[in-house]
Amino acid sequence: MILPYFIIIPLIAAFLISLIAGKKDQWAISLSLIAIIAVLVLSVYSFIIFQKETLIYNMSGWKFPFGIVLVMDALTSFMLVMVSIISLTSIIFSVQYIRYIDMDWKYYSLFMLLVTGMNGVIITGDLFNLFVFMEIALFAAFILVAYGRKAEEFEAAFKYAVMGGVSSILVLLGIAILYSATSTLTMAKVAEELKLLNPKITLWVGGLFLVGFGLKAAVMPFHAWLPDAHSSAPAPISAMLSGVLIKALGLYVIIRIFFNVLDAPIIFTKAFLILGAISILLGVFLAIGQWDLKRLLAYHSVSQIGYMLLGLGLATPLGILGGVYHLFNHAMFKSLLFYNAGSVELALGTRDLQKMGNVVKILPVTAQTSMIASLSISGIPPFNGFFSKLIIIIASIQAGEFWFAFFAVVGSLFTLASFMKVQRYGFRGENIIEIVKEKIGWQMNIAMILLAFLCLLTSLLIIPGIKEVTLDPVVNVIVQKAQYFNLMTGR
Amino acid sequence: MVYNNLLLLIFIPLAAGIINIILPRVIAKLSAVVSLCINFYLIYLVYLGDNAPFAFFDTLILSFSQMGFFSLIFIQLLSFIILFFSLKGVESSIEKMFFILYPLTVAFCNGVVLSNHVFSFLIFWGLSGLTLYLFGLLGKTKEAPKTAKKTFIIIGGSDALLIMGFVIIWLLKGTTSWSIFELKTALDNPASIIALTFLLIAAFAKAGGFPFHTWVPDFALDAPIESAAFLPASLDKLLGIYLLTLMVTILFEIGLLVNMIIISLGTLTVITAVMMAMNQHNGKKLLGYHAVSQVGYMIMGIGSGSALAFAGGLFHLVNHTIYKSDLFLTLGSVEKQTKTAELDNLGGLGKKMPITFVMALIGALSISGIPPFNGFFSKWMIYQGLIEKAALLQPVYQLWLLVCIILAVFGSALTLASFMKFLHAIYLGRRPKIYDDVKEAPINQWLATSALSLLCIGFGIFALRFPLSKIIFPAIESNGIIVPEFLGLYIPQLIVMLFLIGFIVGMGIYLFTKKVRYDEVYLGGSEPLEKFRVAGTEFYNEIRNMKPLKTIYDMAEKKYFDIYEMGSKSTFALSRVLQKGHPGQLQLYILYIIIGLLVFIALI
Repeated sequence: MILPYFIIIPLIAAFLISLIAGKKDQWAISLSLIAIIAVLVLSVYSFIIFQKETLIYNMSGWKFPFGIVLVMDALTSFMLVMVSIISLTSIIFSVQYIRYIDMDWKYYSLFMLLVTGMNGVIITGDLFNLFVFMEIALFAAFILVAYGRKAEEFEAAFKYAVMGGVSSILVLLGIAILYSATSTLTMAKVAEELKLLNPKITLWVGGLFLVGFGLKAAVMPFHAWLPDAHSSAPAPISAMLSGVLIKALGLYVIIRIFFNVLDAPIIFTKAFLILGAISILLGVFLAIGQWDLKRLLAYHSVSQIGYMLLGLGLATPLGILGGVYHLFNHAMFKSLLFYNAGSVELALGTRDLQKMGNVVKILPVTAQTSMIASLSISGIPPFNGFFSKLIIIIASIQAGEFWFAFFAVVGSLFTLASFMKVQRYGFRGENIIEIVKEKIGWQMNIAMILLAFLCLLTSLLIIPGIKEVTLDPVVNVIVQKAQYFNLMTGR
Repeated sequence: MVYNNLLLLIFIPLAAGIINIILPRVIAKLSAVVSLCINFYLIYLVYLGDNAPFAFFDTLILSFSQMGFFSLIFIQLLSFIILFFSLKGVESSIEKMFFILYPLTVAFCNGVVLSNHVFSFLIFWGLSGLTLYLFGLLGKTKEAPKTAKKTFIIIGGSDALLIMGFVIIWLLKGTTSWSIFELKTALDNPASIIALTFLLIAAFAKAGGFPFHTWVPDFALDAPIESAAFLPASLDKLLGIYLLTLMVTILFEIGLLVNMIIISLGTLTVITAVMMAMNQHNGKKLLGYHAVSQVGYMIMGIGSGSALAFAGGLFHLVNHTIYKSDLFLTLGSVEKQTKTAELDNLGGLGKKMPITFVMALIGALSISGIPPFNGFFSKWMIYQGLIEKAALLQPVYQLWLLVCIILAVFGSALTLASFMKFLHAIYLGRRPKIYDDVKEAPINQWLATSALSLLCIGFGIFALRFPLSKIIFPAIESNGIIVPEFLGLYIPQLIVMLFLIGFIVGMGIYLFTKKVRYDEVYLGGSEPLEKFRVAGTEFYNEIRNMKPLKTIYDMAEKKYFDIYEMGSKSTFALSRVLQKGHPGQLQLYILYIIIGLLVFIALI
């Protein structure tokens, strides 16, 4: 059975690293690379092979619905592929970047724990188990945010920890209410039981989850921790946080719980729409005024999460397609942008756009890939962001939500404006910089080039013929809400 | 892959652009030229009728239409001539990128005008905006990155609105088909008016119509001059007006009021831009403003709903692309020889660069609407169409339309005035000493500008014989519009004869009574200093300083009318307000969460 390996491999890697890695980091790097590549291969394999079916694994042989189950359907493997791609490039990027801060195996060990937590959240079919994995990922993330050991980083990590704690309390409360109402923690069983119960329970639990996971996903107005945490972390960790963590812990869980468990009541999908639109607009307006590159990127994460939520909130197949597609695309270009920011920070020692300058001359790879990422996030063809935003806009108009389509369009316009600002000041500015503090090594360049290619390649996912075997199965899982527990309970 | 001429028209320049990434420069130039030559051949095949549509997964993507074919011909023609000009003289540090972007742009523009599917239209439209931005980044001036940014924010931002506009009319139409040609919508509800507005914004931004024109003069100033002639002066005009044509013919059923609004916007474009142009001190910026001003005439003609003015608008589009690229390229030749396009510093180059001077003169006469050049003919058609339309209207509309026409004619006069200044400042007057060694432009450059000038003359004299009857009328008639008889008293050949007779008589008088004395200029007994040279840029300072105009000019110079500058200021103000809500205090953030939770509880 393939399912537990997604958790076991990174977990073992995390402990092995702490056991055998000596003072140097070669062992840690190679171990984590092996682990991540293994997970990537497994996830791609399962995405291709088990597309149409739902796999279930009973932990320790306890039969469903008594034990903890792991579940894999198209949505799960889709998320796993995304997490593994970004983890892999982040590890490659980290090699030089982390050495610059501190040569240390602990980073890789924590990184593996982070991946363990995310994979666990994605693959588990049990609510409390989900909570535990979420905490694992979060604890790893708290420490990694503070990894640079500067005052502001500790402060950001502290804030992150407090806000994460608040959200965990709300989530835990929601889980407790569900458990007391349904006497089970297996999601499929909960979904089944909830139908027989007072709908008010769904509303209350949903409200708690919306705020709790909304905090994890950094949806406005629960976003305030994100700019600090994401801009203070080391660049590859920012890429992990913005690229996949907020989605694995936030959006994915929202999709899973609200669509597959709570059966997507209209009040919540409407709430998604409104929160999505608020996030898009306020996020982008906050972003455009920033001069700290990483902070600007972090606010854009809020704004882009808004697009995904907007797509999901439409609750039409096309809207969900747009949301899920954008989720994947965002992971690619946002992580790439954080790598670019990290590379510039390493080379010039600043994150202030006004202090950067002719980066295109001194760091050509960084500047060119950042151009690709900027165009992707701004929704310029032929890059992936164009297509997912196009689908979201079409879907909202098709659903009769003209205003939300308009907000999405306005958001996209200002996204473009703020990335034009990044390009103009950050990478093609007037300041002539001669001295590079640190040369950018091939590992960092490879990570950036890989993602830049993916920004272009993932555009192909929408082409008829490819879409049917990649995105459509994922959308089906979300649209046919009830199928999740039907399949699991064997009906 | 199935052999398809329409697809090849896009694919061949696209392939040329992509392989140029690895080819050395000389071969890259060759591949660009070859790709355009092949495209000419393909156009010929399409003209003969080999124009099967291209479908992908049973969805029609590309198809032939007369209107698209019209644009296609001129995209190819202009691209070829400007490419020829660019073969020698593009700054060597950007040459490589230039010859990668150039064929790509041609491919994307072809894609726009051949598209049948809305999505392919949008994608190619967006891509052509992207190459515009990348061309802008090639600029060498200090402001170039800023200008490129501004350009792309206006162009890319309007793309987003374009998407929304198309999707709205698709929804209103209620079809499953995404074919552009099956979306005709009546303007009877707010949604369709919004869609019209969004599409209009996109078309105006691309073509440079008021108030989305502000990127054009900046781009002309900061981008490489070949790309200014190539994109804002030619291809972007063709695309923007192509979209406008689609809107008035096959996308919307336009009523009289909308016609009048579009005409008024056109008039505003004409008059505001030409007023700005008159006061420019930089040749490139002056031409940039004229590139905006002339769009106004096209908008007036095409938006008017009169068949004759519509044909005139399209013809003016063609003529404009020709004489404006001519003017840009001659200025480019001058700039390459003298390293400046500042009118204050230039002067007296007519004797050093006679061919360039003559070509610039022809371009200037054409743009000013002097018969028998082409600019006159198309403006004449537009005016006549509008006046005929006015005759049929109610008094209120009549007055409105007449005001627009008068302003447009006035704009034409100001155009002539500002080109007198332009020509004087560069080619006439006293030549500064530093330009004593200036030479005529290289052969490829003056051949290109000569070709354009010949087109200016040819299209003026043989307007009816070739461009109108062979290309423009078929395009219009394919939309079910019949162009009436119109010429009235104007016979271009007769005018040419009269001009020639006048010229010959004048030359005769000059030769027979040749009493001209050449002398040194003295001022107060000594040779005049450099500072006494009349540059010509001050010609219209009186207008600049007139009472109400002065305030307007001052405000314009502070960019109060620049929609982009105003937008960016208010955005940053809004951003600052929002940032005040994020001071980094944990209590506040927790408060947000609690408020969010409470609001949600209140809702349920």
